[in-house]
Amino acid sequence: MPGFTAKHRKTIFILLLFILLFWLITLQVKKGRFSFMERPVLAVSGFFERIILWPFKTAVSVSTKYVLLVGTEQENRKLAEENERLRLETGIMSELLLENERLRDLLNFKRQQPPSSVMVQVIGRDSSAFSTTVTIDKGSASGIDKGMAVITPAGVVGRVLAVLPGTSKVMLLTDPGSTLAVRVQRNREEGLLEGKLKTCALKYVSFYADIQEGDLLVTSGLDGIYPKGLAVASVIKVAKHEASAFQTVYAEPAVRFSRLEEVLVLLK
Amino acid sequence: MKPRVYLIIFFLLIPVQASLFELISLAGIKPDLGLALVYIIGLLTGPAEAALAGLGIGLLQDIGSASVLGFSGISRGLVGLFAGLLGQRVLNISSPSNSLFLAAFCLLEGIVVTIFMQMLYGSVPIFSLIAGRVLPQAVYTGLLGLLLLQLMNNREFIVSLTRRALQKEF
Repeated sequence: MPGFTAKHRKTIFILLLFILLFWLITLQVKKGRFSFMERPVLAVSGFFERIILWPFKTAVSVSTKYVLLVGTEQENRKLAEENERLRLETGIMSELLLENERLRDLLNFKRQQPPSSVMVQVIGRDSSAFSTTVTIDKGSASGIDKGMAVITPAGVVGRVLAVLPGTSKVMLLTDPGSTLAVRVQRNREEGLLEGKLKTCALKYVSFYADIQEGDLLVTSGLDGIYPKGLAVASVIKVAKHEASAFQTVYAEPAVRFSRLEEVLVLLK
Repeated sequence: MKPRVYLIIFFLLIPVQASLFELISLAGIKPDLGLALVYIIGLLTGPAEAALAGLGIGLLQDIGSASVLGFSGISRGLVGLFAGLLGQRVLNISSPSNSLFLAAFCLLEGIVVTIFMQMLYGSVPIFSLIAGRVLPQAVYTGLLGLLLLQLMNNREFIVSLTRRALQKEF
């Protein structure tokens, strides 16, 4: 027996490592995933990501600012026209906002201040085919904290998972560990949206709730992370099972995660 | 492989994969550098070392992507083990079939991960994920592996990467 152990020492060691990892996985299935190593790895990878991306970003910046100026005049004219149109629309919106505020005051509603935010750049995306996290170029030094909401003008992106002074990791909406409270914009039905890697699933929606394909899901604000009314996802499929009291609703995120470049982190 | 090779992999794998490979991604799909490296280590060193390297690289990627710790460790450890066996008995590094084997390993790993995710979280769109993400990534990774192996196909370069005990094989 000692001879066998000595002969196959390496094999036994590798086998023990595999068993240890299996045990780690079963532990995480029960207790949730471990995150104790995330910060040191984020520190190292964030540092090198900045260095690696710097020459490319500089080259892109130079080319867009100085070299590729063809058609700028035409674009400028178009933007000026659009600006005029938007100014007109803003004027109308301001009127509506004032009217809305007056009505809110009348109804004694709590006035909602728009949350302050910080604009950040996405500098990295994880490697797997099931990519559900991105790295951003700002961290606690810019006021970012764990759990803060991350959005774009198109809708909700996710929330901050780990923070270092100059870098943070963001968990996308499609991560299986992500849940957020939403409601259907059309009829105010509420539910909990869970990440399903490529899409999301709306859970705990009554079997009899009227939910249709194409319905827009917006944040309900009940989870205390995301402000109320942000676009989250559109319903793509509704599955009803007679045996269940709930229906499962599948939804596609409003934000295209493969094209993320700049995002906003909402500071509390 | 020499310790300095593993050190470079440890510090640069995640940043290169996360940032540099983002520039060559097609419709959000990019090759899996970690898996390609484990496969190449398998061909160059043998099953035992490649299994250990796969475990380490997988664990590193698990931590970097904030996923369930240990899953990629196990799957990449197994890829290293089988790639090592293939390298010992069937293939050499200049063979173009490496691309197919690497793509097959990547596909198999992706399918296993998808099924695991379904068991863990439920309601995962298995077929759409496999057809839309896992398969294209496997093809892309196979091509990357082929490119890396062609670039490495030089005796002096391989000798500079491997430990003295393995150098006589090349």
